[in-house]
Amino acid sequence: MTAETPFTIAISDSELELLQRKLELTGLPDELEDAGWDYGVPLADVRRLVDHWKGSYDWRKAEAELNAELPQFTRDIEVDEHGTLNVHYVHKKSDASGAIPLLFVHGCKCRALEEICNKLTLVTGPGSFIEVRKILPMLTAPPEDTQAFHVVAVGLPGYGFSEAPHKKGFGPIQMAEVGHKLMLALGYDQYVAQGGDWGSIITRIIAAKYGPTHVKAWHTNMIIPGPPHPIRDPLRFLRFMVTPLSNAERRGMARGLEFRKIGMGYLMEQATKPQTIGYSLADSPVGLLSWIYEKLVAWTDNYPWTDDEVLTWVSIYWFSRAGPTSAGRLYYENRVSTKELEKYNVRVHTGFSYFPQELFRAPKALTRNLGKVVQDTEHEKGGHFAAWEVPELLVGDLRKMFGKGGPAHGVVQAKM
Amino acid sequence: MIAETPFTIAIPDSELELLQRKLQLTRFPDELEDVGWEYGVPLADVRRLVDYWKDGYDWQKAEAALNAELPQFTRNIEVDGQGTLSVHYVHKKSDVPGAIPLIFVHGWPGNFIEVRKILPMLTVPPKDTQAFHVVALSLPGYGFSEAPHRKGFGPIQMAEVGHKLMLALGYTQYVTQGGDWGSIITQIIAAMYGPKHVKAWHTNTVIPPHPIWNLGRYLRYMVTPLSQAERDGMERSLEFQKTGQGYFIEQATKPQTIGYSLTDSPAGLLAWIYEKLFTLTDSYPWTDDEILTWISIYWFSRAGPTSAGRLYYENRVSTKDLSRYSVRVHTGFSYFPQEVIRPPKTWSRYLGKIVQEVEHEKGGHFAAWEVPELLVDDLRKMFGKGGPAYGLVQVKA
Repeated sequence: MTAETPFTIAISDSELELLQRKLELTGLPDELEDAGWDYGVPLADVRRLVDHWKGSYDWRKAEAELNAELPQFTRDIEVDEHGTLNVHYVHKKSDASGAIPLLFVHGCKCRALEEICNKLTLVTGPGSFIEVRKILPMLTAPPEDTQAFHVVAVGLPGYGFSEAPHKKGFGPIQMAEVGHKLMLALGYDQYVAQGGDWGSIITRIIAAKYGPTHVKAWHTNMIIPGPPHPIRDPLRFLRFMVTPLSNAERRGMARGLEFRKIGMGYLMEQATKPQTIGYSLADSPVGLLSWIYEKLVAWTDNYPWTDDEVLTWVSIYWFSRAGPTSAGRLYYENRVSTKELEKYNVRVHTGFSYFPQELFRAPKALTRNLGKVVQDTEHEKGGHFAAWEVPELLVGDLRKMFGKGGPAHGVVQAKM
Repeated sequence: MIAETPFTIAIPDSELELLQRKLQLTRFPDELEDVGWEYGVPLADVRRLVDYWKDGYDWQKAEAALNAELPQFTRNIEVDGQGTLSVHYVHKKSDVPGAIPLIFVHGWPGNFIEVRKILPMLTVPPKDTQAFHVVALSLPGYGFSEAPHRKGFGPIQMAEVGHKLMLALGYTQYVTQGGDWGSIITQIIAAMYGPKHVKAWHTNTVIPPHPIWNLGRYLRYMVTPLSQAERDGMERSLEFQKTGQGYFIEQATKPQTIGYSLTDSPAGLLAWIYEKLFTLTDSYPWTDDEILTWISIYWFSRAGPTSAGRLYYENRVSTKDLSRYSVRVHTGFSYFPQEVIRPPKTWSRYLGKIVQEVEHEKGGHFAAWEVPELLVDDLRKMFGKGGPAYGLVQVKA
């Protein structure tokens, strides 16, 4: 068993005090009559959240709960041409026999992939390691005779309590390298990968680059297709053109177009000028709150967020090791390195989970070739943050895929 | 003589104090090694400006200078479907005979301060040079004008405000000049209220739609070789589209969301605006005082900085087809090399009745600030004796 360095979240009193003082000086804008959500987050929501954050929200309590529920560690990982970064992660082994190692990669914001069929954007939400919170016990301590997993949830460099990259060019490929090296360092020579949001593209790269030797399967809940080029890939193109769309696909595509029309501002800014918006996000608690909360609401399927949930989520960004600015740079790095990413084809067992309120929906005719698709599940409920909104559905899909009788059962030689 | 209500900028001490306390609590982000301007405004620039804003910059001195140089007023203007708004404006009449009334309209992140340098040149020119009576308003939601309260206050409403202001000041015939949003707004003013009231339109930000919708125009574009200036301009336009539009898209879709940051964080507002002051100008040697005065006007604006960005949203949802607003009066274009949008001339021929087109070697998006003498020269050439738009306005005795 490789030695691990335990980590406890312990935000300093001075940080808490600075946040408090800033919150007390919060200046709020006006709002147009009857604006609703048309122009962005409504003033009433922001006022309420700021008041709660300033008044009764208890970070210390949230911090203690996170530390109690999520066994956390840090480890130095060396990344080609980027030196060594200190990576924060959650790690829980399962006691169940036959448990297989699973790397869970959270989301962040992602960049736009310029594809032939409109500009499908890989969007990742403002996620963090916290997204593993609900699925962790389900995966590691399942009911009897149900597939179990050893779970590693990596904190991407620049997010949460991981060190941020210092040099230009730390994009999804480097993120994939971090995830993979962490699994190897923990002694997981063979493992499977799950990701949504940014995590989707990162785990896709992991599966393509490090499978089938190490990575035995890939599962994602955010399916971003490659475009069927009419000349290079005529059959797939034709199949796409003639296959009728299901209702779910049609609704999902409409949602995607809506996202493109009015939901991409944050992405365009972060993909081009992450430093500029970064000054606001680092300096203004209410600014950071609105920026993130807008997506927590817009991208979920009527998930009943409590103010405490929202504030804990946002506080992790506020108190993150490198500050909130570094997270947005991944969009920029993604944009400038798009060309290379198209080369990453997954050849291992692949599973997709389609949630209705995901940001966009690619028709199955376009996603069939993304990997060796062995499982395809359509859900009636859930959105972009599946692991948070509908953990039982996501976990259900993983258990079905990897459990006995499942299409990817036994892909990992489980160690004793 | 039209009665006017004088206005003096007088930001209360409590506002100055709040700004100071916020600046002191500024939390800065990190920065990657060797990024320069690639990822946005460099950290060193922001740190320097925040430190100066906090410690050396003197707003009250800047305020006094603005009040001394710019005669300011406010007036209630009623806007169809939007109620009455108090509009702040600069107004200076010229003593020179034959002076013609001109309305100057700013954009974003511009403001009324952009008239500062051209005001004396236009109102007190050298002998035998065309003079102007100048009106420079703060668009509703900007500077010291009241902000709109209802949805739907777009460029058309802005045009209505500008026009009604001119009429209220007794200028039944006038000419217009604008850049950035001011270009679109003055185009609408000229189209809607000309030739009866508006006799001519001049702009330094030429924004025609793509000619693909008009076969003749498109064909002409395809066969006309581009000049070097046009080629450079198009490259610049494409680069802007690729890497400079983030702010535009955010403000056009979620102005309230970004608004929380801009209203609450001086450093955030500074970076958001300074990025454009720097990147859209032609190596203009901004002093820290200039930058901070410009941005302080946004910070201390009557409605706060959030309302300004809503114009992008309103334009997106309500300005159906700008090409409907075709200008039939005398039109003049000034092309500055570092302007952010630069279409080929074949695209813009039909925008108005073009009587003057000047290509410059120097200057960018904020022409009135960067190269005031060049802009003023174009106006004098266009409207002065012997010029292509001379004598259009019946000058009152």
